Amino acid sequence: MSVGEIRVAINSDQDIVSARQKGRAMASELGFSSGDATLIATAISELARNIVSYARKGQITLKGVHGSSRVGIVVIASDDGPGILDIRQALRDGFSTSGSLGLGLPGVRRLMDEFEIDSQPGRGTIVAVKKWRQ
Amino acid sequence: MKIAVRRKVRRHADFEEEYNSALNEYAAGGGEIALGRAYELGRRALGEQKSLVEMASLHHRAMLGLVRGAKSEKRLVELLQASTEFHAECMSPYEMAHRGFQDAVKALRQLNETLEEEIKRIAYAVHDEAGQLLVAVHLALADVASELPVPQQAKFARIRELLNEVEKHLRRYSHELRPTILDDLGWIPAIRFLADGISKRAELPIHIESNVSERLSGTVETTLYRIVQEALTNAAKHAQASNVWIRAWKENLVLCCSIRDNGRGFDSDGTDATANRKGLGLIAMRERISAIGGTLQIHSNPGSGTELSLRIPLEGEHVNSNRAGG
Repeated sequence: MSVGEIRVAINSDQDIVSARQKGRAMASELGFSSGDATLIATAISELARNIVSYARKGQITLKGVHGSSRVGIVVIASDDGPGILDIRQALRDGFSTSGSLGLGLPGVRRLMDEFEIDSQPGRGTIVAVKKWRQ
Repeated sequence: MKIAVRRKVRRHADFEEEYNSALNEYAAGGGEIALGRAYELGRRALGEQKSLVEMASLHHRAMLGLVRGAKSEKRLVELLQASTEFHAECMSPYEMAHRGFQDAVKALRQLNETLEEEIKRIAYAVHDEAGQLLVAVHLALADVASELPVPQQAKFARIRELLNEVEKHLRRYSHELRPTILDDLGWIPAIRFLADGISKRAELPIHIESNVSERLSGTVETTLYRIVQEALTNAAKHAQASNVWIRAWKENLVLCCSIRDNGRGFDSDGTDATANRKGLGLIAMRERISAIGGTLQIHSNPGSGTELSLRIPLEGEHVNSNRAGG
């Protein structure tokens, strides 16, 4: 089984649907359950929504990863938007309106197994998340 | 008020209509666009604080409406499959919120444990360190007094009496802060000890009635002690009560405890309960109890006293069978 890398440009709500669709297809190709594929699509939605809301445009990259004993999926959201001044604050529940409901970045972190973020004001944001197949 | 209610009903009807239309779209082959709508609907429902039970019955109605049109058994199975997928998508934001809630409860428990550690440290400092300092003061006084003529020595005796009083109070306070009885004998004996002290200091009779004899987990016992402690402090300080009644009993696997006073009460429905210091105490109590999965109800009206009702489910982890009955 080999799954390549897929990039989806994110400029609009339609692009979010497209990223979700490709992420879900890749997840099921990698053997994720449909429940986990739903959670992966959810994480993609939240990441892509952040791009559209804060940076206007960016991209979502999807990759399959094959570790020695396990299989996973990586979702990378990147943009050249205004960046995040205080990352710790952005990861805290209640920082934004969506965050107060446990959605947004804190929500994505909880849905996935691994979470990395890199951002600086004026230099865009990269969020990389990974989920392993159960 | 009526307009607001009507608007809410209207909004709910709109939501249901939109849910039905998105589900139908998905069942008709709408694919990811329709699933995206399901997800957005779930997100919106969460924001509008729709209950999960409400969402489940809404989905049930939509699903029944959908499968009613099935012309064959094969189509019926397809429609059921589609509606299950759609439902999972819509619930996904609730899953995120649920995980967030679990994390928050865990953080709250840890915070309470940290607080307990801090209290233990303070209790130790008051009891042992301040106690030792007092002993040193006693010795120094005795030293000075021995060099004085007898009439002045009598004055020093009075100072020593006062110091003894201080020492007694410090000891008492440190025990109430974190009673060793709580660990050794359990929460009911600890509350009796606490009530005894408050009764004497505030001249407030406190009546305790309990038929719960088994020991509970350390966290539950500490939580119960802290809440009763806060309630008694409120009753003595703010409520101007002349009697307090504490009752503890079990209903199947639920531990119930009621703390009632006949003080001046307050408006428990009003917002002022959250604004003042007393309100903060009540919020802290609620948070403590929700961290162990229990509930706290407050009934109070101006002039008719206050009653706190606690309910804590005693599932496996909360009962501590290894500890002796108390």
